[in-house]
Amino acid sequence: MNLDYKNIFAIIIVSSLIGFLYNALNPKSIPLIKEERILVFEEEQSEITDPDLNDIPVTEKNVMDDEIIVPKDGNIIKEEIHDVATEFTKPVAIRLSRAYQLYNQGVIFIDSRSKEEYADGHIKGAINIPFYESEKYEDVLNKIDKNEVIVTYCSGEDCDTSILHGDELFEKSYKRVYIFHGGWDDWLETGYPVESK
Amino acid sequence: MKKLLSNSYLLFFFRVVLGFIFIYAGAEKISDPAGFSTSISNYKLLPLYTVNFFAITMPWIEIIAGILLVFGIAVKENALIINAMLIVFLIAISISLARGLSIDCGCFGKGNQIGVQKLIENTLMFLAGSLLMIYDSKIFALKVAHSE
Repeated sequence: MNLDYKNIFAIIIVSSLIGFLYNALNPKSIPLIKEERILVFEEEQSEITDPDLNDIPVTEKNVMDDEIIVPKDGNIIKEEIHDVATEFTKPVAIRLSRAYQLYNQGVIFIDSRSKEEYADGHIKGAINIPFYESEKYEDVLNKIDKNEVIVTYCSGEDCDTSILHGDELFEKSYKRVYIFHGGWDDWLETGYPVESK
Repeated sequence: MKKLLSNSYLLFFFRVVLGFIFIYAGAEKISDPAGFSTSISNYKLLPLYTVNFFAITMPWIEIIAGILLVFGIAVKENALIINAMLIVFLIAISISLARGLSIDCGCFGKGNQIGVQKLIENTLMFLAGSLLMIYDSKIFALKVAHSE
């Protein structure tokens, strides 16, 4: 096997140069150094009008308290959803306690996991739109009004489909998208309403 | 067996199929650079500042190696380039599967989750590439005029 290493080198160099040139001219070009996709959590994002909500440090210990907090502050949260969450600059990450608050307000939950995982069990009332085949679920998505508040979730903290899905929905001009960071794992662990089919 | 595997028509078939797969894969990635960049970073194997370097160059190496392969130009060399990439993909997918990541493969644009199927596909392509590296494929090749 006598290989011409000069050719290999040349092919790789020329292809790479074409790549850089194309990227420079392409309207959809990407920066040479990738920016990190930093999840911005709601509590970090801004000083939200309701101090009670901000004062709750979201730790696992507090998770159970939310069941008491939610009914008490129910009205305040409702206002917040209409005033603050009108439009985001990008999808906002939330943790379990906030997800549960939104759940209680009947916000739409989108399950980004696969059909099989969804069938095994999901957050009660969640709609399944598997991220990997989201283009097949256009009609499901189209039923959702663009102004609806949406929460996406996947299996837990280590999965990324909820984030990618959140970004995708955002590009499709759903501008009130939350990403539930803890996802199915956190939800199941806490014993909040689930269903399977 | 050796005679069968070094059959020039079989090698030509592998050459064209492998070439077209890589042309297609490269084109899909070029059509969505941001998506491909995200796919690479989801593997969490490369430092972030190198991700876009690969996202920009790799699809073009795929396309050009694919085209040269189809036309039968520098077959062994291009098969080696393709095999080198396949090994990297195989390692990356294996590590991710072992870590239990459920991420997009990024192989042919969006819509392929990593899994055992991808490992099998890549292994088959690697075998085809290896045959081309060993036996070369000279039939139906575009003649390139150059002095040797």
